[in-house]
Amino acid sequence: MHLIKIYIVSFLVFLFGATAFGQAHLDCNCFVKGIIKDQHTGQGIPGATIYITKSNIGVTSDANGKYEIKNLCPGTYEIECRLVGYSPFKHLLDLTTGHEEDISLSEQEIHLNDVEITALRTDAPSSQPLNQITGKELFETRGQTLAESMKGLTGVAVLQTGTSIAKPVIHGLHSNRVLIMNNGVRQEGQQWGSEHAPEIDPFIATRLSVVKGAAGVRYGSDAIGGVILVDMDELPFDKPLSGEVNAVGMSNGRQGITSGTLQGGLPGLKGLGWRLQGTVKRAGNVRTPHYFLDNTGTSEKNFSISTGYRKKGFGIDLFYSFFDTKIGIFSGSHIGSVTDLLEVLQNGEPFVKSGFSYEIGRPYQKVTHQLAKAEAHYHFQDGNRIQWTIANQLNDRSEFDLHRPRNDSIANLNHPELNFRLNTLTNDIVWDHKPIAGKFSGQVGVSTLYQYNLMDGRPLIPNFNQFTTGLFLIERYVKNNWELEVGARFDYRHLITHQIINREKVSHNFDFSNFSGTAGGTYNFSPNLTASFNFGTAWRAPNVSELFSDGVHHGAAAYEQGNAALSPEIAYNSIGSIKYQVEKLNIEIGAYYNYIHNYIYLKPQPEPILTIRGAFPYFKYTQTNASFKGIDINYKWEFVKSVSVASKLTYLQVYDQSAKNYLVMIPANRLDNGIHYELEQWAGFKNFHLGLNNLWVAQQKRVPENSDFTPPPAAYSLWNFQAGGTLPITDKNQLELSVSIQNIFNTTYRDYLNRFRYYADDIGRQVSLRLRWQFGTIH
Amino acid sequence: MKNQKFRSVIFLLSLGFLLTQCKDSGEDLKPDEENELITTVQLSFTNKSTGAIKTFLFQDKDGDGGNAATRFDTITLAPNSEYGLAIAFLDESKNPTDDITAEIEEKADEHLIVVSANPAGLLAYTYNDADGNGFPIGLKGTAKTSATGSGSLKIQLRHQPGTKNGTATPGSDDVNLDFRLVVQ
Repeated sequence: MHLIKIYIVSFLVFLFGATAFGQAHLDCNCFVKGIIKDQHTGQGIPGATIYITKSNIGVTSDANGKYEIKNLCPGTYEIECRLVGYSPFKHLLDLTTGHEEDISLSEQEIHLNDVEITALRTDAPSSQPLNQITGKELFETRGQTLAESMKGLTGVAVLQTGTSIAKPVIHGLHSNRVLIMNNGVRQEGQQWGSEHAPEIDPFIATRLSVVKGAAGVRYGSDAIGGVILVDMDELPFDKPLSGEVNAVGMSNGRQGITSGTLQGGLPGLKGLGWRLQGTVKRAGNVRTPHYFLDNTGTSEKNFSISTGYRKKGFGIDLFYSFFDTKIGIFSGSHIGSVTDLLEVLQNGEPFVKSGFSYEIGRPYQKVTHQLAKAEAHYHFQDGNRIQWTIANQLNDRSEFDLHRPRNDSIANLNHPELNFRLNTLTNDIVWDHKPIAGKFSGQVGVSTLYQYNLMDGRPLIPNFNQFTTGLFLIERYVKNNWELEVGARFDYRHLITHQIINREKVSHNFDFSNFSGTAGGTYNFSPNLTASFNFGTAWRAPNVSELFSDGVHHGAAAYEQGNAALSPEIAYNSIGSIKYQVEKLNIEIGAYYNYIHNYIYLKPQPEPILTIRGAFPYFKYTQTNASFKGIDINYKWEFVKSVSVASKLTYLQVYDQSAKNYLVMIPANRLDNGIHYELEQWAGFKNFHLGLNNLWVAQQKRVPENSDFTPPPAAYSLWNFQAGGTLPITDKNQLELSVSIQNIFNTTYRDYLNRFRYYADDIGRQVSLRLRWQFGTIH
Repeated sequence: MKNQKFRSVIFLLSLGFLLTQCKDSGEDLKPDEENELITTVQLSFTNKSTGAIKTFLFQDKDGDGGNAATRFDTITLAPNSEYGLAIAFLDESKNPTDDITAEIEEKADEHLIVVSANPAGLLAYTYNDADGNGFPIGLKGTAKTSATGSGSLKIQLRHQPGTKNGTATPGSDDVNLDFRLVVQ
C-alpha cells in the first residue's frame, strides 16, 4: 500500500457572536467554520465529515472543502474530522476560556486557529471495512507475533503451528489468499506454507490495518480474503530528536522483548527525517496448563533504518529492514508414520516431556528477511501526483529436521534439510490525477514483480522464475453524502519452474492472466451513521506447492499431491457494513458473501498412498466452488459513566458448493464479551483503564466427515484481564504501563486452527507486563 | 527541481539494477545428495537347518511420491522352522546406492528395529544383536514359525536419538511396513 500523506491545513475560524454581555454562557450563537485543503494542491477536499464528538452536530465539507458548524454553545469541544479512507483526526477546542476573555475585550472577536491535520490515506477501497490497531490497543499487543496482534479484530483468526508460528486468517482465508503490505511493499516470503509465518517485526508498525474482503484491484493478485497493512508513521521531517523504548516481559516461556526507536530531523539540512528501530526477542519453552512443550523457544533480532527528504512537492524515502528469527518447533510433533500420530492421539498428551529451557534444538526454522525500498513522489502544481516505489526482498528460509543425517560427515555440515531463497523485485508506479470537476478523484497505476526461488535439500517445491505485471485504474466520486468508487485491473503472470525428477531436469511454463473489478459506495446518513457496500473481485494463480507438491507433509501426516493443470482461483466478494457512532455507543455490523470460483483445496482421496513409512491418507489439490459467508459485529456501550461493555462476534460459514460438503480448517465462530472501566485521571495516571473479558470459541462442527484423524476440539472459554495507564513525567516524557493476564484460570484447551492440536494442549496462563517510555515528542 | 527529479530517477534506477541480477533458477538446480532416504528394505531369511536363503524386498527407488513402489513382496516361510533374519536398508535414489544399514550399525544406540507378526502366533522373533548399552538393535535376529497360516509381518525402524531405552515407544518411525506373511 502506498501511504499518501496529505497535509490538510484547516483554518478554523471562531467567530463569537455574543452580543449580550451577561448572558454569554447561555448564548449558543458560536460557530466554527473553515476549509479543508490539500497543502500541495491547494485544493479543497470535498466529502470530509467534521463533527463535534459527544454530540450529534456535524457537517460535511462541500465541493470546495468548506464547512461550517453553527449554533454552538460555549464549552469544551472535541472536533473530529473524518473522511473514508483517511485516519480520523481529532482536535480539542476549549471555547469557555477563550469566550470569557473575548467577551471582556469586545463584542466580536475573531480567533484564528491553525490546525495542521496530518491525515494518512490508505488506498484501500473506501467502501470496504477497514479495521485498525493503533496507539493503546497496539501497545497492548506488543511482544506478540504479527498475526496474534490482530486476533482481537472481528473477522480475523489465527492459524497456528504450535505457539510460535502464527498466520493471520481473514474471513476464513489465509496464506496465499491474504496479502500483507509491509510499508507499501507486498511481502513475499514462502507464504504458501501454513507453517511459514510472516517475516515482519510488529514493532515496525505504528498502525496495523485489516482490509476485509477481496481487494484485488488496488493490490493485485492474492488479495482474496483481505489485505493486512503494516505501516509506520511519517518520518519526523525537521522535528527534534525523539524516540521510545519498549520493554515487554511475559511469564509463559519467560519471554523478554525489547524494542527501541530513535528518530528526528537533521538541524543543518531542511527537509530531512530519519528513524532507527530495532527489536530483540528471546523466549523459552512455553507451558500448557499441565506440561512444558519441549523445544518451543524463539529468538528474534530485527532492525530497520529509514530516511527521507522533502522539498516542495518532491519527496523521497529510503527504507531497509532486516528480520532474523530462529523458531524451535515442538519436538513432540515429529511423527514418522500414521501409527506414530495415532499413538500420540491415543495417549492424549505428548510422549516427549521437558522442563523449562531457552535452548532451541532440532527441529527448528531459521529465517531471515531483508527488504530494501526506495519511494519517490512528486506533487505537480496542478494537483497531479506521481509516486514510484521500487523494492527488493530477500527471503532466506532454512528448516532443520528433528533427526540429523545418519552419516557423520554430512551431519557435521549441519546443513538445513530444506532451504529456500526467494528474491523479489517489485516496482509500482501510481499516478493520482487531479480532481476532475472537483468531484472525481482517482489513480492509475502499474505494478511489476520479478521473482526467483532457489531451493536446496529435500525436494519439496521446484525452483522457479516468475514475472507478474498489473495495470489498474480506480475512480472516486464524492457528492453530498455519497462517496462512490469503481475500479478495474488486469494482471498477467508468467511462471517457469525447474525440478529434478529421476535425476533429470524437468521444466514447465505457465501463463496466467485475469481481470479484476471493484465497485462500491458509502452513504453518510449523518455524521453518526454510515453505510457502505462493496463488490470486489480478486484472483490468485495456483502457487508452486499447489502445482507440484508430491510427498508426505509431516506434521499433517498426509500425502499431498499437486496438480500442474490447476487454473487460477477467482473470488467474487460482496461486503456491506453499517457504522453507528454516538457519544456513548459505537456499533459496527458487517456481512459478506465471498464466492470463490475454482477454489483450490486438498481433496481426500479414497485410497491411501503406500510409502516406506506405511500408508498415508492421500490428498490431491483439486478445484471446486466454495462460498464463504459471515457476519462480524462489534459494539461498545458506555452504560454508566466510565464503565462500558463491549462485544465482538465473528461468525463464518463455509460450504463447498460443488461437492455439497463442508471444507476443512475453517475457523470456528467466536464471541468476545468484555467490561471496561476507564478514567481520564487516576492516581497520577492518565487514561487509566481496567478490563475483563471472556473469549468463547465454538467447536467447529461444519467439517466433512472422515476427513481428519480426530474430531475438531471442543468449544472453549478463556478469561482475560488487562489494566494500564500513562504516567506523564514531563511535557516531553511519558511512561505507559500495562499488565495483562491471558487465560486467567489456566484453562486446558485446543484450538481447531492450531496444527499442533493433535499433539499437545494450547498455551496456559500468560501474565504480561509492558512498559513504554516515550521521549522527545509524544504522539 | 527538474535536475533533482532527474537525479532521483537515475538513483532509483541504478538501485534497482544493483539489487536484482536476473537469474535463471534452473541453472542452480542440483539433485539432493545430502538428505538420506530409505528406498529399499531387504529381509533375508536363512533357514537354520537347510542353509537356504530367501530374500524379500520392499523397493520404491524414487522415494515417496513419483512412481509407486515397484516391489512389496509376500514373505513365504515354511512352518515349524527357525530362520536367521538379517535386515538391510538401502537408499537406491543415490548413485551409487547408499547403504543405510552400515550407518544404523554405527549409530546403533539411536535405532531399534521392531519385528512383529499379526497374528502373533504366526512368527516369534528374538534379537541377536545389541548396542553399546545392551539394548537390542534388530539388524540380526531369529524368526521361528510354527503352524501354517497367513497374516502380516510389521517391520518398524524406530529412530530414537537420545531416547532409546529398549522399548518401541520413544522416537518416530523411519520405516513402517506391513509385509504379507504366509507360512505354508
